[in-house]
Amino acid sequence: MTLLIQDEYPKKLLREDGLRLDGRGLTDLRPIKMEVDVIKNADGSAYIEWGNNKIFASVYGPREVHPHHLAKPDRGILRVFYRMATYSVFERKRPAPGRREKEISLVISECLEPVLFLELYPGTSFEIFIEVIDADGGTRCASTTVAALALADAGIPMRSLVSSCAVGKVDGQLITDLSGIEDKAGDSDMPVAMTWFNDEISLLQFDGKMNQEEMDKSLDMAKDALENVYQMQLEALKKKYIQIQEGI
Amino acid sequence: MMDIKRVISTIEKNYIKNNLKKGERIDGRGLWEYRKFKITTNTIASAEGSADVSLGDTKMITGVKYDIGEPFPDLPNKGVCTVMAELLPLASPLFERGPPDEESIELARVVDRGIRHADCIQTQKLCIKEEKAVYILFVDMYVINHGGNMIDCGGVSALGALISSRIPKGEWTEDGPKWTGEYFKGKELINELPLPITFGKISDIIFLDPSLPEELVIDGRITISVTEKEITSIQKSGTATFTREEIKILGEKAFENAKKIRKDLDFWQYANNSN
Repeated sequence: MTLLIQDEYPKKLLREDGLRLDGRGLTDLRPIKMEVDVIKNADGSAYIEWGNNKIFASVYGPREVHPHHLAKPDRGILRVFYRMATYSVFERKRPAPGRREKEISLVISECLEPVLFLELYPGTSFEIFIEVIDADGGTRCASTTVAALALADAGIPMRSLVSSCAVGKVDGQLITDLSGIEDKAGDSDMPVAMTWFNDEISLLQFDGKMNQEEMDKSLDMAKDALENVYQMQLEALKKKYIQIQEGI
Repeated sequence: MMDIKRVISTIEKNYIKNNLKKGERIDGRGLWEYRKFKITTNTIASAEGSADVSLGDTKMITGVKYDIGEPFPDLPNKGVCTVMAELLPLASPLFERGPPDEESIELARVVDRGIRHADCIQTQKLCIKEEKAVYILFVDMYVINHGGNMIDCGGVSALGALISSRIPKGEWTEDGPKWTGEYFKGKELINELPLPITFGKISDIIFLDPSLPEELVIDGRITISVTEKEITSIQKSGTATFTREEIKILGEKAFENAKKIRKDLDFWQYANNSN
């Protein structure tokens, strides 16, 4: 039927003082916390808290391909399964994966594939499972970021890490890292991911309206934000080994 | 740590078995020793209630969501609670993708029955208008790491998530249910604290709280859900058989352990007090 409380969006997304509803400046990221090696059973795993987003990722592989006919004789395959928990959104999501989840899985998989040496693993598969347990805008960017960390944690050879963040436009202003409300009620949203070995963009989607000038500027803003995300990823990876070293 | 495979080697199996015969376990516990629970509630902002629970290496995150729907015709003034379990493929190489399999349905059903028959949820209060509108509570358990004994971990996480819930109170108007501005919380939602307690059995040795390597070699297990005074559900699974004496003893052990867990975890401290 209906829920008793409705999900409402405010009319204005920028405050009088020019800051955003959560108090951030236009180019500020939300608080981000990353951790690797959080799921013992997995070959590699990572967890990220990006604002209110909470996401687990784990990597299994190289391992046998199921179903078998998907295996490629000359190279390995990468499969990504992005899923959202039923309770991660305002209105309970149905447990079965929807079209949105399948599309995002594909986009993330194609974004990460360039950094892997799949040709070295014929007949096998790498599987990345991403579970969003709490969502508040920008889950595909956070998921890509955390999936790259999990791959690195699994010790799988990579050309570089991949970092991702969204840029967009609300109330006519360009902003970095859209929150849930800004994503739903804003003018446009553009998730971007970069592979650092060649400094190129490997995930790019855009919804909304922007002119050429704004587009150029937002890509520059994305680059700045991604540099920060990248540093945080490196820190998270190093932290695991610092902890091991201190334990000895 | 032992490698996790679908088939466990005879040598490993014998190792676990011989140790159990001597009253020892591979993780150093005694036969009747429980692993430690760790519980954090209200970790999910989007959920009405949530609990992040670890039992040894097993980790589960459970969230509660609600909906308003029509009641069952035979229970026109009672709310409904459904429990679902997802064995996420990220949690273990043993879990596969796809629709819920037998294992996840059993987990959800055993936790559900423990709660349902214990008069745990105040279903009478979760009615807005008889025959028209009642609450449907969804308790969804997500396994993040599988380290054995998911049922007991699930029971605690479901209870933690329910106790920490904050469900908007509704009243019936001509245009349907409307929010009164208040919430159901803590004791308004929950009566009893049922807990499932699981025992493993291999040949004639019985022990408490099987870990994952133990679960892979045991013949079977038995889960007894208990409130403070009553047994509310039992599930025997696997091929093991139990004598009547054993079940009597295990009943007592279940009460004893549930009492201890209730005392250690002090569930009511997780009741949501915010407005």
